[in-house]
Amino acid sequence: MDGPILNELELAPPEVVRQAARDFARVLAETTQFKAFVQANDRLNNDEQAQLVLEAFQAKQQSLRPMLMLNAASAEETAELERLRAAVLADPSVAAYLQAQQDLTAICHAAADLLSQNIGLDFASACSPCCC
Amino acid sequence: MTTSTTVLSPEMLEATEMLAGQLFHAEPIVHYNRAKARLDHDTEARELFARFVSAQADLRVRQSQNKVTQADVDHMRALQQEVQSKPIILAYAQAQQAAIAYLPEINREISQLLGIDFASLSGPGKC
Repeated sequence: MDGPILNELELAPPEVVRQAARDFARVLAETTQFKAFVQANDRLNNDEQAQLVLEAFQAKQQSLRPMLMLNAASAEETAELERLRAAVLADPSVAAYLQAQQDLTAICHAAADLLSQNIGLDFASACSPCCC
Repeated sequence: MTTSTTVLSPEMLEATEMLAGQLFHAEPIVHYNRAKARLDHDTEARELFARFVSAQADLRVRQSQNKVTQADVDHMRALQQEVQSKPIILAYAQAQQAAIAYLPEINREISQLLGIDFASLSGPGKC
């Protein structure tokens, strides 16, 4: 379009940018937060009791979804769903996973904010499906 | 930003700043920021674009409420024609689209190495 032709000296070669992205990923993978998340994820996936508790909650949630959307679920059903939800949150493997996820999200969010400030665009929004 | 410097380790901060610096000089991003600067320096075009974006958002809300009138449609159409007659706005919109289309490539490079989607951990997308 209009405007001066971009000076190639001002541009980073595409492979250099991709390499910086890979270097960033390697450093992120070495953080305690990322390692803790991977560990917590593995623990949760291998915890049969936690998986049973999760499946029970998800099955109940799925079965009640239409009624919940219409605000038509009975008090007993809602109470049962909340009981199952509390059981999920009380499970040690689930709790550890959620904490690890929160800690990892915090540093990813901070890093993405820094990227966004530098480039003038919201990095996370650009990479996520948009309803627009 | 204070939040980033307090949350990120020195190694993460360095790696993030390195990536940020390279991204800043990536062609689609350079092109976008130049187009944005040209738009920002053109008061008339900038204000027209702001009116267009605002009218678009307003129309979406009215559509969701089933309250769109013919006058709304005519107003939007007139604004669209005005915007389309301004090369500086079209250039900005195209540059923005190209920059937005470029960033998922970078996210893929990061995510492939991590084994999880980096962008999904980085915050909610805004519409």
